[in-house]
Parts: sequence; structure tokens; C-alpha cells
Amino acid sequence: MAHISELEASLRPPAMEMPPYPPKVITLASGEEMVVRQVERDEVPTLLEAIYPLLWVERDFYDIVGARLFGELLAYKRYRVKDEYVLAGMIDGVLAGMVNGRLVDGKTGMSYHTLTIRRGLRVGSHLFAAKMEYHIEHCGQEEVLIVAESPIGFRRWMIEYPLEKRFEVQHELGGVPSWVLPSATYYNAKPRLVAGTRPVPAELLKSAETIMLPAEETVVRQVAGEKEGKE
Amino acid sequence: MNPVYIAGAGMTKFGRSEWSLIRLASEASRSALHHANLGEIPVDGVVVANMGAARVNKQTALGSALVDQLALYPAAAEAVENGPASGASAFKVGCQAIASGMADVVLVTGVERMRVVNGLEGTDFVASLSHPEAEYIYGVTLPALAGMFARLFMDRYGVERKHLAMVAIKNHLNATKNPYAHIQQAVTMEGILTLPEAAVNNPPIAEPLHMFDCCPVSDGAASVVLVSEDVASRLGGPKVRVAGIGQATDTHAVHDREDPTDLKAVRLASEKAFAMAGLAPSDIDVAELHDAFTILEIAESEAAGFFPRGEGHKALERGETALDGPLPINPSGGLKAKGHPVGATGVAHLVELTWQLRGEAEARQVKDAKTAYACNFGGFGNNVVASVLQREAK
Amino acid sequence: MSDKVYGAKCTSCGTVSYPMRAVCPNCRNETFERVAIEGEGKVLTFTDVYALAIDYETRYLRLAIVELDSGQRATGQLLADDPKLGMRIKTTIGVVREQGESEIHGLQFVPA
Repeated sequence: MAHISELEASLRPPAMEMPPYPPKVITLASGEEMVVRQVERDEVPTLLEAIYPLLWVERDFYDIVGARLFGELLAYKRYRVKDEYVLAGMIDGVLAGMVNGRLVDGKTGMSYHTLTIRRGLRVGSHLFAAKMEYHIEHCGQEEVLIVAESPIGFRRWMIEYPLEKRFEVQHELGGVPSWVLPSATYYNAKPRLVAGTRPVPAELLKSAETIMLPAEETVVRQVAGEKEGKE
Repeated sequence: MNPVYIAGAGMTKFGRSEWSLIRLASEASRSALHHANLGEIPVDGVVVANMGAARVNKQTALGSALVDQLALYPAAAEAVENGPASGASAFKVGCQAIASGMADVVLVTGVERMRVVNGLEGTDFVASLSHPEAEYIYGVTLPALAGMFARLFMDRYGVERKHLAMVAIKNHLNATKNPYAHIQQAVTMEGILTLPEAAVNNPPIAEPLHMFDCCPVSDGAASVVLVSEDVASRLGGPKVRVAGIGQATDTHAVHDREDPTDLKAVRLASEKAFAMAGLAPSDIDVAELHDAFTILEIAESEAAGFFPRGEGHKALERGETALDGPLPINPSGGLKAKGHPVGATGVAHLVELTWQLRGEAEARQVKDAKTAYACNFGGFGNNVVASVLQREAK
Repeated sequence: MSDKVYGAKCTSCGTVSYPMRAVCPNCRNETFERVAIEGEGKVLTFTDVYALAIDYETRYLRLAIVELDSGQRATGQLLADDPKLGMRIKTTIGVVREQGESEIHGLQFVPA
């Protein structure tokens, strides 16, 4: 690693030991296989390129989720956020969605965002579950604090896991009242909500080595609805 | 009764649209009108099919609105509401105008723009067709009624979840050949049923029905131009005749049905349509059924008379209803994959069948299709309109 | 009036309409007397609904169509842990929906 100045070092948060996320593969409804793996700092620019067109899509809160995620990914890359992780799902090497969060301490996780690019195949549900799996099973945490920008999207998780209210805690995302997923609830929900097999076969993992971007037009169309119909 | 012909058919892509309700209707209408190529022949009437505009789009008097958009005034115009069977009901009304001799050219357009409201609001709006005191207040939704129907039907006739999955797989595959379909994404048995990940890929909606057993919520519009025999002759071109239409109703509350697994209204409506056409189910070359839920495709295929009771899922399993089978069902992709803008669906059936009978269905063309059948299922099976179309030799 | 659910019994032929009607489907008579929909019976069919309306925050709702021993059918919420087709139930009245501030009462079915 390049030598960093004392000042730079002081602007970086101290880092906790974070176990790597072991990649897994999930077969989607279409029969396609999605590889879920952790994202390295040098891959962040690719993710930023994918998010950029969504920054002005108001529908389904993509603009604020995109904007916040953009900042969080940059902060991860530039060492300005403590203990953040990023996971991505790829189908045939093409980015299908991403999730992120950070570890507050050994006991508590803070879930940040979930962004789905390839819609209609429950990619968001799979990736959100992978996030919870990381916090609770791999990092050994006791609970994860969760909020969301979109009420409709959030309602599904709130009811499905189910999540509990922890409203006295202000979530880092704007200080809004937190919900929480305790580890016991996670394990109860696991058979229903968490899928995937390990290890990922070598060939498949290799195909997911480099994150490829879907065409911008595809991203916007998938996410924001038909391009036809814009006046 | 004078003969009625379909001279033009058009539709918008189904899915999520930024277009307004009336813009959707007018795009489908213009497409059908261009297809009909009326030239100087005037349009006498416009009938619009729609279920939810007053509630979700806060707009009423759609017939008048569309007439203005298309500059067809002073043509007669009105809207028809019959829940999910609005489309075929509007079609029936248009046919009656021509059959009675009151009109020579009628434009029938079905339209729905539901995605302006969220899924909860949309579910609630559709649930409003259930009985307010005996069903709705209990949290009954259309999927709930379908789930209860499915459980009993499956138990009685030995239909399994894999058969429901076969309907979804077939219709999704057909839709990949339909540029107008909402969902153009093939699905597999492993992905939606047999693998452990199917639990997440295909979560329960109203058991035993899961996500891939239920059609999506779609925006869209579909339109047909109905003409008299005289106009059909003047236009030249292939003649698709409306050979028969039948409609039947049943009790409002599903629990009140004589036999809750019997789609009696489908049977009665179909019998009437076939009787008017002088045809039998065995004469049909291609059919568009109302698979708002996969179980309904199986049940309707029996009630319409294509297969004996309890045999529909076996015919499906043998591939008889696939695009290359002896009786292709839902070549368009069905409601399941083509989509279900509620008011448009009944008309979209007829658009697909018109294209099929004219040899214009491209990658999904059913070879030599001459006679076609459609079933538009209103309420939860308590108001059904069945139609039979026939291509006339030149 | 939240203690019972009522159907309409034809004063001429005794046929019960539930939900109520204005005209008897059996004899076309147009006068009725109120009759409670209650008693024991069996589950005809049921479902666990996950796609719920906005008034509900449970993960799923268990609904059923039952056939009472009187022959009368009804729709309601099934409060049974291990539902089976044909299982014996009896009717009860409970809160079936909350719309804003108001609680709506209706039929619930419990194991008999």
C-alpha cells in the first residue's frame, strides 16, 4: 500500500476486522444464475457509472437512493466511512443489483441501501437477505438496524421478516426512527428468505470477476419504466 | 342480426407507461384505425372499456374524452364497466350496434392505467368487485378468491403446483415472441418451483398460488374496429367475422356458487357463443383465455368445452396447449406475461386473435388459424363474456 | 349490532340469502326476515393471503369458505393453526378489519 500521510490517516476511520463475504450463487426464476460477491474499492467507479443515470429518476425513490448510495460508495472507496461493505449481484457478469451497509460495532450492524437494476426476478430480495446474512452469520452480529426511503418497498420487509421497531434509535440515514432485525428473527426467516449455494463453481466465479454494466438505456428502462411514453 | 366484422386491431405495449390514460387509449385506437384503413368511411360510434379510471385516475366520461382526442365527434360514445370483463362487454356493445343495423363502424377501445397508484391501492381497488359485506370486509382480495378456488379445484382434480408452473412457463415463453408483452422473460421450473431458491423467487401470494401464478399490474390499451358487412366488402382485405358472442352471470359472493369449483358462467357463456356461431369447441384453432391466475387457464379450458372436467391439466402437461400444439392457448403470453390492464384485456384478446386469423402474428403465428375463441372473466367468474371469431375465405 | 352476522330468510319459501338479496332466488318473493348466520359446519376451502390490503399489517391472513350444517355457506377468517379441507368449525364474531379508527366485526371460524 502506498505511504499515506499522518493527516490522511487521521481522516480515515479506524477499521475493524471484517470477514470477507463468501460468494454464493442463486438460481433466479428465469433459470439464470446470479453470483453474489463482495465488491472491492477499485470496482466502485463501475458501480458509480451504473447508478449515475438514476440520480434523476423520481419514480420509486431511485433518485434519493441513488444519490445516497453514490456518496456511500465513494466514501467506501476513499476511506471516509467506518467499516462499510458492498455486495453486488451479477448475472453473466452483468451487474443486476447492489447492497451496502456498515458495522457499527461487534454487536450492531447498520444497513444502508439496496438498489435493483434487473427487475422482475426478486434480485432486491435476494441481495437484502445476503446483507442480513453477512451481518448476522458471517460477522456474528446480534442485530441490524434498518430503514428505507420507499415506504412501499420497506413494508414488504417490515412484514416479511418481520422487523421490530427500535424507534428510540436514530438511523444514520437522516436520523429517522430505526427498525431492527434481531438475529433470532433472521434465523427463523432464513428458510423462507435466504437462498443460494456455496461454493460458487470456479468457471462461474471467474465470469463474475469483472463487473460489466448493462446498457444505460436498459438500466433506465428497467428501473424507471418504458422510454416510450416520455412526452 | 347483421354480420359483424373486425376490420382493424391495434394495441400499445403493456407494462409501465408514462402516457396518460387517454393518450394510451388514443394510441391503441389510432393503431387499429390505421390497420382498418377506413379512408373516407366515418366512425359511427366509440365504446371505451375501463374499470378504474374514476377511482385511480380521477377521470370519468372516457367515451367522450376519446371521441375528442380522435376528433371523431359527433360520433356516439360511451364507456362500459364490467370489472375485468369490461373489454369483452364493450366489444359486445359495439357488435350489438352493428348487428342491429344502428351503426356501420364502431371503434372499441379498452384502456387501464393502474400503475399511478401503488400495489396496495391497486389490490384494494380490484378487491372492490367482491361483495362488500360478505367478502371485502374480511380482507378478501382477488388473489384470495383465486387461492380458495385453486385449493379446492386442485384437491378435487389432482392438479399440482407443477401444473400451475407449466402454465406460467408456457405463457412466459410465448410472451418472449410478443413485442407488446409486459413481461418478456422466460422462466424455468427449477427457478420457480423445484429449487430451494424458488421459495424466494416465487413467494406465496394466496396459497396455493404464488407470485408466478398471478398476473402483473399493467398499464395499456387495445382497440378493434368493428364494421358491417357492407363496409367490410368495401374495405377488401381479410374478413374476420364475429361468429358468436355469449355472456352469462353467476352469484356475487363466491361462497354462494352452486359448486365452487365449477366456472358455470364460463360454461354458459361459451355454450351461447358456440351456439350462435354454429360451431363446437373442437372447431377452435387458437384460444385466448383469462389467466389472471394460472389455475384459471386450466379451469377455463375445461369449462369452455375444450377438455373434459379434470382433464385440463393433463392436456397442458402433454403440451397440447403450447404454441406448436393442437390447441394453442394464450399465444400472446396470456394475462400472466402479456399483462392485464384490466379494461384493456378483453379487447386485447380480440386483437391477438384478429392478428392470428389474418396471419399477422409473426413469431407467435399459429399455423392456419381460421377459428378462434376468447374468454373474458369478470368479477371472480360471476360475469363472463365468451367470443368466437372466424376468418372467412376470400 | 356487531354481535351477529345476518342473512335474509324468505318469508314465503324459507330460502336464506347470505349475503342478503332484495328478491328470493328460489321463489321471487320480496319480503324477508333477518336470520343469524351462525353454528357449526366444515371448511370447504381456505387460503393464506399474503397480498393484503393496506388495513392489515400481519404477514398473512387465513381466510376460508365454510359450509354450515344448515347448508348455509359463508366467507370469513379462519382461526385454526393446522387447517385442513373438511375440518369441523364453529362460527364466532370478532374484529376482522380496522379501517382508520373503526373496528369492523364479522365472522371468524374456530375449530369445533
